[in-house]
Amino acid sequence: MVTLRINGKLVRAKEGEMLLPVLQREKIDIPSLCHHKAVEPYGGCRLCMVEITKQEWSGRQNMVTSCLYPAEDGLIIQTHTTALIELRRTILDLYLARCPDTPEIQKLAAQYGVFQTSYEQVAKPDDCILCGLCTRICDRMGFGAISAVNRGHKREIAPPLKNAPPDCVGCLACALNCPTKHIQYTDCGFTREIWGRKFELLADKQTGRPTITREFADYLSTHRDIPRDYFEQNDESHRKETALILGKIAVWNREVPQ
Amino acid sequence: MKARLVITPHLCTGCRTCELACSFTHGRDGKIGQSRISPLNGGFSDIHIPVNCLQCEDPACVKACLAGAISFNEKTGAYEINQEICVHCLACVAACPFGCSLVDNQLNIVVKCDLCGGDPVCAHFCPSKALTYKQLQSKAVGPK
Repeated sequence: MVTLRINGKLVRAKEGEMLLPVLQREKIDIPSLCHHKAVEPYGGCRLCMVEITKQEWSGRQNMVTSCLYPAEDGLIIQTHTTALIELRRTILDLYLARCPDTPEIQKLAAQYGVFQTSYEQVAKPDDCILCGLCTRICDRMGFGAISAVNRGHKREIAPPLKNAPPDCVGCLACALNCPTKHIQYTDCGFTREIWGRKFELLADKQTGRPTITREFADYLSTHRDIPRDYFEQNDESHRKETALILGKIAVWNREVPQ
Repeated sequence: MKARLVITPHLCTGCRTCELACSFTHGRDGKIGQSRISPLNGGFSDIHIPVNCLQCEDPACVKACLAGAISFNEKTGAYEINQEICVHCLACVAACPFGCSLVDNQLNIVVKCDLCGGDPVCAHFCPSKALTYKQLQSKAVGPK
């Protein structure tokens, strides 16, 4: 355990733990868009910047992304100095130039007093802030179907060669965890479309309701040793079947004297 | 041997108190939660089965979770979903052969029984003692 000083308050933290989880545990309001506990920290959105210093640094200060900086003994952290708020305002201003119509960005920018961008708006605005959370989650799941392509102002998130991704299984983890809800998908009846690829959903045998995609079920049964027929029923009919089997056992227990 | 939530079907009257207790315990932000336990009819008019997570030895939900969000709690003997790690791929919901990983449509999270951190509320409220939380002497053994 190490001792930190956050905004003047002494806080205990595990050694090597990143600063952002400690700040969130202390209920300090730090904006962050690209942080997710399931994946390694990345420092993509740059909004969680904090100012750090130490007693032996003789007055030198440094601004770091708190999601990437490990806790050390004697660290003095400031989270809401004038310079930091000005920095976050600039970052949000730049985000607004890129994504002017995104509700999540607008809300966050309004909290910091930025209502309109002072920069020139990009020609084709969209909702993507290029934080890379979708690609990191896809890699964590073990698929790696999407990645960031090109560099500089042409950078974007896309499947290989912008074709339908062959490794995607249609689990929707990227779309559901996107901080700005940029990734579009359609989920209609027994078809699901994401990243330009169409998936067929498996149907429950009894109720005829969709469960998960055929590709995801194949992946889980081959890589994780789960019997394939588990996926051909949804949770509701699984529960009903369990109740029927346990009911038979209960009747049998009642009729057979113990 | 860890304590277990023991279901005794011939004592269950199908009153659904456990479902209510579970929903109200796991609510958040003024909303009630999805009940982790579902009392269902067991195929006979007088047999009711409260279907709940059985905390399997080799659970399919843990094998299916590609993000590694479901972990075993040594203290309570329950498999718990860490909501901060969960990426909502619904693999565990599809994989559980007993259908005991559920989607909470109000709070938009995936839920399963976590034995309320070692003190299951459903067992407290069960009026006929069909649900009890007790220490078992031996493991259940399958047919040879």
